[in-house]
Amino acid sequence: MTNETDSTNTAESTQPVIRSVAYTPNGGGDQAYEVIDAIRRGENPTPTVHPEVLESDSVINVEKFNLWYTETQAIHDISMKIPRGAVTALIGPSGCGKSTLLRSINRMNDLVEGVRVEGGISLNDSPIYAPSVDVISLRKRLGMVFQKPNPFPMSIFENVVYPLRIDGERRKEVLEEACEKSLRSAAIWDEVKDRLKKSALGLSGGQQQRVCIARAIVADPEVLLLDEPCSALDPVATLKIEELISQISERYTVLIVTHNMQQAARVSDFTAFMYLGRIVEYGPTATLFQTPALIETEHYVSGRFG
Amino acid sequence: MSDTNTTHAVHARRRTLPSAIGEPMVWLTGGALVVCLSMIVMLVLLVVVNGSKTFWPRAIEQVTLHDGEVFLGVATEHERDVETGVLHTLYRVGNRDIGQESFRWIDDEQISSIETPDDAVMLEREAWGVWFGVPESIVRVHAGQEDTVLAHGSGDVLDAYKALHKDARKTKAKIEQLKKVELGSINSEIEALRLSIRQAEIEASRGDRGLIRLGWVLWFVFGVLAVGCVGLVYRCRDMGTELGASNARQGELIRTSGVIAAVMLVLAMWIAGPWKGQVVDEAQLETMRADAATSEAALLVEYDEVIAQIREIEDVDHELRLVIVEPTSGHFSPVSQTLGDEPMYVSQVVRLVQANTLSTRGKLGVFFSRWWEYLSTNPREANTEGGVFPVIVGTVILTLLLTIFVTPMGVIAALYLREYAKQGFVTSLIRIAVNNLAGVPSIVYGVFGLGFFCYTVGGYVDTGAVESARMGATGWWGMFVLAGVLLIVGFAAKLWSKPNPGKLPTSFNKWMQRGSWLVWTAVLVLVVMLVTRTPYFYGFFEARAQDGTPTFGTRGMLWAALTLALLTLPVVIVATEEAIAAVPNSMREGSYGCGASKWQTIWRIVLPGAMPGILTGAILAMARGAGEVAPLMLVGAVKLNQDLPISTQAPFIHADQSFMHLGFHIFDLGFQSPDSQAARPLVWTTTLLFLAIVFALNFTAIMIRSRLRAKMAGPTV
Repeated sequence: MTNETDSTNTAESTQPVIRSVAYTPNGGGDQAYEVIDAIRRGENPTPTVHPEVLESDSVINVEKFNLWYTETQAIHDISMKIPRGAVTALIGPSGCGKSTLLRSINRMNDLVEGVRVEGGISLNDSPIYAPSVDVISLRKRLGMVFQKPNPFPMSIFENVVYPLRIDGERRKEVLEEACEKSLRSAAIWDEVKDRLKKSALGLSGGQQQRVCIARAIVADPEVLLLDEPCSALDPVATLKIEELISQISERYTVLIVTHNMQQAARVSDFTAFMYLGRIVEYGPTATLFQTPALIETEHYVSGRFG
Repeated sequence: MSDTNTTHAVHARRRTLPSAIGEPMVWLTGGALVVCLSMIVMLVLLVVVNGSKTFWPRAIEQVTLHDGEVFLGVATEHERDVETGVLHTLYRVGNRDIGQESFRWIDDEQISSIETPDDAVMLEREAWGVWFGVPESIVRVHAGQEDTVLAHGSGDVLDAYKALHKDARKTKAKIEQLKKVELGSINSEIEALRLSIRQAEIEASRGDRGLIRLGWVLWFVFGVLAVGCVGLVYRCRDMGTELGASNARQGELIRTSGVIAAVMLVLAMWIAGPWKGQVVDEAQLETMRADAATSEAALLVEYDEVIAQIREIEDVDHELRLVIVEPTSGHFSPVSQTLGDEPMYVSQVVRLVQANTLSTRGKLGVFFSRWWEYLSTNPREANTEGGVFPVIVGTVILTLLLTIFVTPMGVIAALYLREYAKQGFVTSLIRIAVNNLAGVPSIVYGVFGLGFFCYTVGGYVDTGAVESARMGATGWWGMFVLAGVLLIVGFAAKLWSKPNPGKLPTSFNKWMQRGSWLVWTAVLVLVVMLVTRTPYFYGFFEARAQDGTPTFGTRGMLWAALTLALLTLPVVIVATEEAIAAVPNSMREGSYGCGASKWQTIWRIVLPGAMPGILTGAILAMARGAGEVAPLMLVGAVKLNQDLPISTQAPFIHADQSFMHLGFHIFDLGFQSPDSQAARPLVWTTTLLFLAIVFALNFTAIMIRSRLRAKMAGPTV
């Protein structure tokens, strides 16, 4: 009952002004969303890739990659190169397949029933979907941080050195050194150095996420995968993580999925805008946010569509 | 005004219905809770009150009847006779060895007077129950000489008794110790000698070692296979991280084949080991017999020496006599019914209670000394007197053993069901079946335990396979090789049933999956057949079994613990499954993301996370298992076995022995006792003790769990 009254009220006053800017099929108003429309029709238009991306040395090479969840295709024929030593952000509206793409890189999707892929991804020139690849040794080459901080129910120290523990490392001095180095890199050493033996679950959300980042980088991964690392954090913690990502990017290649366009603009060197499982535009972040080639990208990054 | 009324009428809802009033429901639900709780509280109170008053010393009454009969006794019950409607009292009158019933009902109207004489005492004796009487004297008897009277008259006798009794009991304990330890060990050595000869004779008469040579050919098969696999791995070591580089599975297959072949080789060598002793011939047997005879003779001499030592101590011990006279007949408490004309030894008195003169403190002293006796000594008089120490030990050991057995079994099963098995129709079916197992009447488990564990498994441990089931050596080794090959095939099929990375399973994969199940089942059947039909194994206790005293092939602690473990398995499986399911998936993902394998994730993340839940399951299983009696009657609990299931002698835990159990003890006291009136108060006390022990076990487990939880969880959780 209340809903009805609400909608009638707003209909009469302010709402339609916003709605007119929102996307409508076949181009709304005076601008035509050609690429988006093509994608909506189920076509695979050629993505707009800026030359800067192709020039740099790539660490991950995605080639004609397709992925299905049982019947539903989540990724359509994506080809992209992730530049080495930079932060690359994947942006796009919900359900555009950016997390799926990220999880395809360390084959976390293997855990999902009924996933099928075609095409390939290679990490430093070694294919990761070849039958000879041991998925465990593949994951050891990558670090991953998840949406929700997921420290294990053990001490902070044990959390950070977990990847070393499962590799059978027992020497205390090695573990301690790695732990300290990693926590310093994750910019949390000063906060936790006196409570390393305490449970990691006692930390705040932002601290937990930084411990998770420390855990992800302790074994020197070739690429660090961040799956919306700040979506469960408050603004202050988000800011800290963003600063941390900038620091880390000096040493690691980072691939980050984010919902937050400002975040992508702040932390990343390259940005790929995805829509419905396709890449729409991919290029240097500055270009993409200031002078994108496509009207869709411009509207998306400025919040007028999506 | 009228306008508003109409609008109201349109929108008005009906008055609150009487059924919507919730107040009575609060009372009803609260009341139900109170009823439940008060029933439990009453049960516990009843047990506590009745159980603890058993040992409280009560007044000894001297009852004079109208017909002039006088007797001493303790009134235990007072009630109205159902048939005649007269009030009557149950007196415990003891003195069974002079031919009277130890309890008698007396109609209240027959009683002319009741007194409580100060000098009346109640004797608790080692045998023949209690004796009521008046102390007359303590005498030292000398063989062939006049007896010396050490004390005369009630007061003096009690003083002298206090001075002498402790030492007399110590002497008595020493005699018991000598009998049990020294004579016991000599006896068991003689028995061991006899059994070793018997075993040698059995083996000599069998003489089938020729069979074993056959196995040698077959070692060769597995030997070559193992060496071949090692060679392949070595040859291909440069071909990338994975053998064959093209397919990770081939490398895995070759490595695993090597391991399986090596295991089978070791197994085959162990079965037909050439280092096993040769068969003894008749001449060797003769020498063994002669040696054994010499050792036995030496042992018998030793035996006689110990007996002589015991006699010596006993002679001194028997000199001291206590004369406690029953007032009416004038008879004193005798040594035993056969030695009815000799007053009893002081050392035969367990406790002398002069109940009518005791102060409250003195009564408390008697009360606690009886409790201590109850908790720390062996039962006497068909369990109606003495203690329950072996019963407590039996119960606690059984409960611990069953928990030790059931927890790993249940946890492993639940892990497979929840973590590895594909969730589908079959898993649900198994889950339902497991849950239904919890509803099977426990006596059914008892029958199964007796048939399967005691007779089948136990019989196998004792004497090996049933004679008619033994296979010929050739056939058996053929089956052995087949099992080995099938293991490798099954493993290969399992490998090829996994789809390529990022691909859906093809029909080839699916057929391989089915094939691997088929092969595994075949392997399982083969292994069972190999074990049950082996021609080589004749059991570990053949000689004893042939003498008609099976070791494991009969009821015992081990089988009882396993039966109860099976009975409580569903509890553990269900609890563990829930606990595993409650571990958040984000933890597992995080672990996989760090490059952990499935097993590492289970071992380091899932199991620790599920540990409190697993312990809850173990606690529930323990509580359920500790209280079971019905299956125990079939698989091992007995009325009397004073040998503890644990001892300081090797193997320390005597899992083959039958044992006493508090649950069964209560049943025995209540329904199978020859002197049910004497046993009745002990039923309550034993129930109280049983409750206390189960509570203590659970409490300990809960403490362990909460400590673990505190260790695992962070301060915010």
